[in-house]
Amino acid sequence: MLRTATLVASLGFGVSIAQADTLTFYTAGPGGLADALAEAFEAETGIRVNVFQATTGQVMARLEAEESNPQADVVVSASWGSAEDMHERGLLREYTSPHAENVPDFLTHSHYAAQGISALAIAWNTESGTPQPSEWSDLADEAYRDLVTMPDPAQSGSAFDLVAGLEAAMGDEAWELLAALAENEMIVPGPNAAALNPVLQGAKAAVFGAVDYISYARADEGETIEVIVPESGTVIAPRPMMILESTANPEAAQAFFDFVLSDAGQALVAETFLMPARTDIEGRRPGIEDLNVIDIDTDAVAARRDEIIARFNETVIDR
Amino acid sequence: MPRAATVMTTAAAGALILLVGLPVLFILLQAIFPEFARGSLADPFSKIVILTENDRLLVQTRNTLLLAGSVIIGCLILGLPVGILRGLCDIPGARVWDVIFLIPFLIPPFIAAIAWMMLLQPRGYLFQLVGFDMAGFLFTFAGVAFVMTLNLFPLVYFAVSRAFEAVGGRFAAAARVHGAGPVRAFLMITLPLSIPAVAASLLIVFAMSIEEFGTPAALAARTGFEVLVTGIYTRLSDWPIDLSGAALGSVILMLLVLAAFAIQNWIATRRSYVSQTGKPADAEKAQLGHWRWPVIGLFTLVAMIGVAIPLATIVVTSFMGTISGGLRLSNFDLRHYAPIFATGSRAGQALMTSGWLAVLTAFGTALVGGVVAYIVVRGAGRGRAVMDGLSVLPNAIPAIVLAVGVILAWNSPFLPVTLYGTAAILLVAYIGILLPYPIRYAVARLRQISGSLDDAARVSGASQGSTMRHITLPLMAPSLIAAMMLVFAIASRELVASIMLAPAGMRTVGTFVFAQFEQGSVQTGMAMSVIAIAITSTILLVVNLWLVRQGGNAFSG
Repeated sequence: MLRTATLVASLGFGVSIAQADTLTFYTAGPGGLADALAEAFEAETGIRVNVFQATTGQVMARLEAEESNPQADVVVSASWGSAEDMHERGLLREYTSPHAENVPDFLTHSHYAAQGISALAIAWNTESGTPQPSEWSDLADEAYRDLVTMPDPAQSGSAFDLVAGLEAAMGDEAWELLAALAENEMIVPGPNAAALNPVLQGAKAAVFGAVDYISYARADEGETIEVIVPESGTVIAPRPMMILESTANPEAAQAFFDFVLSDAGQALVAETFLMPARTDIEGRRPGIEDLNVIDIDTDAVAARRDEIIARFNETVIDR
Repeated sequence: MPRAATVMTTAAAGALILLVGLPVLFILLQAIFPEFARGSLADPFSKIVILTENDRLLVQTRNTLLLAGSVIIGCLILGLPVGILRGLCDIPGARVWDVIFLIPFLIPPFIAAIAWMMLLQPRGYLFQLVGFDMAGFLFTFAGVAFVMTLNLFPLVYFAVSRAFEAVGGRFAAAARVHGAGPVRAFLMITLPLSIPAVAASLLIVFAMSIEEFGTPAALAARTGFEVLVTGIYTRLSDWPIDLSGAALGSVILMLLVLAAFAIQNWIATRRSYVSQTGKPADAEKAQLGHWRWPVIGLFTLVAMIGVAIPLATIVVTSFMGTISGGLRLSNFDLRHYAPIFATGSRAGQALMTSGWLAVLTAFGTALVGGVVAYIVVRGAGRGRAVMDGLSVLPNAIPAIVLAVGVILAWNSPFLPVTLYGTAAILLVAYIGILLPYPIRYAVARLRQISGSLDDAARVSGASQGSTMRHITLPLMAPSLIAAMMLVFAIASRELVASIMLAPAGMRTVGTFVFAQFEQGSVQTGMAMSVIAIAITSTILLVVNLWLVRQGGNAFSG
């Protein structure tokens, strides 16, 4: 038993020592990006970054559970609204990075800035034997009966933004479109990965509201997936990066924040098929200026979240 | 009461309170005080309204019970016959079958569900091979129950086989001597004496199926079939996070499991199931004779459905270049294994971390669980029922909620020193979550061992410690070892608590696989699962073979 105890102690000890002079970084996907940023930052500054990568929901749940004694220094989420919420609760430290001047105004704030941006799109399996869709409404056609999936707005922040955005752009027609899709036997299997997976194998033909960078990355791996952004417009999901007010190491946190927005950091972001937050860095896919972006008032939409989800469930899931 | 016993009782009670009581207490506080995580006791009970504001919770509770009931029936159908045969008969390759039936525990449930989906959905592997799919079955209530049964039936297999092995042929033989036929001896003697163990395993199946998340999340969403746990997860993993709503949902789950526990306890204690009185037992097992091939056929069939098919699907997927490329020879390559074997890869660290954690968890749970079980069955006083109930609670709480309880309890700013933020907190959570296995198994086993054996040893002059060491422990060993193997298997791929509690920078097999599935490639996630399953099952096989070489008698009671 003594040996066991020693081993437990040594396992734990190693980690707790390491935490004293390092940064702790909580982040939503993409997989691999956080590690790449951490490694490059450590190579440049010698500061070690401990990464916790999970879904936005898991990151937020952990932050909330730790609120009386926060552990993280820097956080990236995939939901702009979560940053606004944390700022309102006074949890964020004010910081404006010098690199932020190349980030579009609407993607910066006194307390946070976008790390990268994703957009919502149609992900279509080119081998599915269906005609290529070009518009959201195409997927309500008979040709796609029982062949469309959509991420659940209750489980995917970006799918929620899409519903809210379509409503902002189209009014009640958005709900008619969703009803038509439901009528066409569209399924809502869960979060983003659950919606894309059946389309990869060909069980379904297209995702209505796929997160674009994930689909681009899959296509890059050779999957027969094409990403189609409807010309009528789509919503973007900027990914806010923020420093917690509670950080014990603000200089290192700011250095990391700067690094993510530096040329090198943004190049790593671009590598994952996200749109870089800085407009002067080239992406691997169409940039924000190529998209017809639907403006949504995130505050107003967040306030109506329960109502919108209830209406979605009524229209699509419990139809 | 002798001093040694008092110390032991105190230590076991302390461990239980620390590992289980504390997180549960903090969850209850969170359920009552919505602002508790922020250090405030404002608005007590303001969240209780979610219980009444819609009937969804009722529907979810009904669905949860329906599903758990179906899974129990499924596990009995699949696990009972092979378990009885394994316990009573001389099955060729018995130890190997044991390891094969452990494999379902090595497969993360959500990976298994995805594997079944990729096999049975339209244009899935089945369609690619033979031209039809079974989506009509998989995406239904029956499909969800089927997949969950495959994850859990080994619990019944192991509990039943150990129990029947212990009851042995001796009692049945006595019945035969007194004129009973083999069927009558089985029905009147062997089966009733094994009831505590069977009931204990069904309790665990019940508890696990109501807290299981991976399968309902992957499949039930497609059928519009909601269970309690999916609701809890939604509250915890969708921003804005609702900690107290989730805590409240967990309280309902805990009540359900406590009710099941009370029923099981009533079954197990209303009469004596003592079968181990110390009289020399005939360790010989029944020979199969003509039944040899049909029995092997039955084992093979169960292994095919429960192990080979899902495992093969996972292995095949891990070798596929692209999912959309389908089952074509040119589409098979090793590229998704490359990132795992790359030097200094995080996958290697994840394997090491999970390996150590699983080993320590197995020993930790067996130690605490063995002592608690001993006190529950042999001890006196009112504390023991409380202890028994406390030990079954973690199975009632979804792991993510227990993890939140652990954070709330261990990350409190008032603590001068804490394990939170270190790997040790994962060990604390794992032991808390998995403690019910050794306790349930050992309690069931101890109810079969006569207390007069202890008394005989004490009368012959042995101290309490030496009685424990030389009499009780060896008799409990088979159950504890079976439970340790289960714990090792489950801990080696634990996901949910790991996501919530692993210190930043640390990965386990479960979190690695999950991250691959969410954000990376499905195939790499499957490849990592394959490697982890290969390593863990090899370790389990080696342990099993070592036990055989130690002489079956030493451990077969």
